[in-house]
Amino acid sequence: MIRYIAARTGGALAVLAAITLFVAFGIRLTGDPAVALFEGAGAPSTEDIARIRQAFGIDRPFLAQYGSFLAQAAGGNLGTSFRSGQPVLGLIAERAPATLALTAGGMLVALITAFPLGAYAATRRNALADILIRIGSLLGLSFPNFWLGIMLILIVAVRLRWLPPSGYSGPVSLILPSVTLGIILASTLVRLVRASLLDTLGQPYVRTARAKGLRERAVIARHAMRNALLPVVTFVGLQFGGLLGGIVILENVFAWPGIGQLALEAVSYRDYPVVQGVVVILACGVSVINLLVDISYGLLNPRIRVGV
Amino acid sequence: MSRRPGAFRVTLAVAVCIAMGAVMGGGPAGAQSPAKSRGRSLVIVQAQDPQNWDPIATFLLSWGMVGCNLFDGLLDRGPDLVLRPGLATSWKWISAGVLQFKLRTGVRFHDGEPFNAEAVKFTFDRLLGPEGAKGPQQGNYKSIDHVQVIDPETVNFVMKTEDPVIITKLAGYGAMIVPPKYIQEHGTAYFASNPVGTGPFKFVEYRKDDHLTLAANREYWNGAPSVSAITYRFIPEAATRVAELQAGRADIAQGVPVSQSEVVAKDPSLTLAQVGSPTVLEIRFDPSKPPAGDIRFRKAVIAAIDVQTIIGTILQGYGHRVSTFQSPLSFGNDSSLKPYAYDPAQAKQWLAEAGIKPGTEITLSFPSNNADFREAAQAMVSYLQAAGLKLVLQPFEQVTYFSDILPHAKTGQLYEFGWGGWTLDFDNTAYLLYHKGEYWNPVFSDAEVEGYLTQERGSNDQAVRRKAFLALDRRLYDLAIDFPLWQTVNLWGVNKRVRGFTAPPDDRVRLAPLDVQ
Repeated sequence: MIRYIAARTGGALAVLAAITLFVAFGIRLTGDPAVALFEGAGAPSTEDIARIRQAFGIDRPFLAQYGSFLAQAAGGNLGTSFRSGQPVLGLIAERAPATLALTAGGMLVALITAFPLGAYAATRRNALADILIRIGSLLGLSFPNFWLGIMLILIVAVRLRWLPPSGYSGPVSLILPSVTLGIILASTLVRLVRASLLDTLGQPYVRTARAKGLRERAVIARHAMRNALLPVVTFVGLQFGGLLGGIVILENVFAWPGIGQLALEAVSYRDYPVVQGVVVILACGVSVINLLVDISYGLLNPRIRVGV
Repeated sequence: MSRRPGAFRVTLAVAVCIAMGAVMGGGPAGAQSPAKSRGRSLVIVQAQDPQNWDPIATFLLSWGMVGCNLFDGLLDRGPDLVLRPGLATSWKWISAGVLQFKLRTGVRFHDGEPFNAEAVKFTFDRLLGPEGAKGPQQGNYKSIDHVQVIDPETVNFVMKTEDPVIITKLAGYGAMIVPPKYIQEHGTAYFASNPVGTGPFKFVEYRKDDHLTLAANREYWNGAPSVSAITYRFIPEAATRVAELQAGRADIAQGVPVSQSEVVAKDPSLTLAQVGSPTVLEIRFDPSKPPAGDIRFRKAVIAAIDVQTIIGTILQGYGHRVSTFQSPLSFGNDSSLKPYAYDPAQAKQWLAEAGIKPGTEITLSFPSNNADFREAAQAMVSYLQAAGLKLVLQPFEQVTYFSDILPHAKTGQLYEFGWGGWTLDFDNTAYLLYHKGEYWNPVFSDAEVEGYLTQERGSNDQAVRRKAFLALDRRLYDLAIDFPLWQTVNLWGVNKRVRGFTAPPDDRVRLAPLDVQ
């Protein structure tokens, strides 16, 4: 297992280097942070832009800039934001709790919704409940996340005034964005749980368990569900990367002060150090999650043995 | 297999009831607006967090919205846009190139540090030195050579070059006076997140991308504010800002989109305030790309598009036509010039005279972030099709457009351009857009225009400058190098409990005069 984790970590570092190179190079092709800094009532002259480029160190060749970034990053320094003048690592650390809370909240809503509904639908194949759950999940998949977020704000916060429309002011403010994120994630997850469980329920060992006289709940919980979880866990792990895309939009809609908003603004203003820093941290996060998913296979099904 | 359809149906029924109740029934009976529980404090929702509260580090209107309540300049410009004394009580040119200011006495920064001539010198040394070189404001003040302290209450600004707009610029963001001792002790990075000024409100708390809280400065030199505290919340999504206002959790919302103006206007607890801003929008022609070099083509495009109808429908009337690329607020605007008339028959005639065949393809480049302009561009396709031109729309991501496409003349024959005109003086627009070789003007050049620009920049006599501007306006109008569209109208949503709110054209909402019912 240790060799396996070491090999996976080495691979992840190589991927990380490739991603940062791609992002650092790509973002420099798409616009000038010196020009972006003048947004508003700005009127930069050619000399103004040259002066800012020099101050930011982006008048140097690309490889020199990228080399400096790697050297700093190796020492745990992700540079300083062009826009705020603050260390990038500090900016990310300030926002990480908000994003982690939203991710966890969304995932929680998705899991506690998708598992019972998926299992319920699988055990009542083609019954009214199954049909309604499938239609519901299709509807959930069809809603763009920002639209769903705004609708929930209008209904729950403006009309009913049950919850705050936006902001980050304690656990109550986490509910709406988590539900929005959770609905989107659960819509796919519920179909996957249903399909996977249906497949498992047809296996001989489930028939055997039933023949032994086990209660249906025990058959599903102890025998069928555990095996049905493998593709679901893989999906959840893979979704983590995709989830971040959704979080960027939802943080914007709900004015949630997380890494998604930071990333969106950094890209809008071509704040290179922040963009690069966020990519490094998120890529690390995705790598770690996928590593945990791989390790969890063995725990869910001891017949699976990991090899290097 | 056991079945419990009852539980599922009950859950479903409850969900449907909640949804129906929410959509059909309105708010809960007896619900009280949270606005009342805020007492004398105000919540303002704005679209953007500038991320950095240092006056020399920004050009964002979202900074100005907050900064005008935290800091003071030597001069001040209120919602009426008239210049008035700020931290300076008077000023005069004592000789050619030397501008003297008499300073207000007894003023202190929020941390107790005294405001005096040394603070003014420190502010401008910092702005014009290496610290200021990292920010966008330095370029606006490069006509200043240095600031000289005469005595604690008097400073001289020694100019390097002629700058007829310097008085106005001293009411700008970059010229806000900052506390020397505080910055020297804590450093620039700390100051950027924990600002200290002399303004009517003082800093309390800041959480990036979330909120900034200020408390009333009871010792403010111009009288203590009526409201006790202000919380600015940063909400990028316009629909969410309006929702916060409707839910009673915000008192003032900046940037109400045209599409939601009616929602605010019809809400009995809210008012919709509108104001013409200094920002204007236009389509510019690139004369180096045929057929845009032909004035008959340019005039034909202008005559073929009914801008007034576009303003009336797409902008719901929230826009004012302009005849040159400046708002009526701008010094140098010739109000006697009327926009070219919508005349499709004349447009066709000009195109025929220019030998432009029906179906000729032309391209309009624009940044894709302005939803109103995107819709207007779609309408322009139809108008130009009626005149016999095929308009191809070419949207670009905003920063790419302004850093790679526009300055390198990679646009189509037509391209969109918006301009803030923050000094409210046409010089800021005219020089950077029509002077040959400027960043924003990769192609256009005209000897007569250059002459007028030299005249207006070479004199501090405002009558001379005005004459030069009017001649310049006429020349640009005749050349039809621009197709000026409209002056932007800013919309604000305000809770009726707020008294004394005036929508400011430059987004600087002065909170000291406001009161709460």
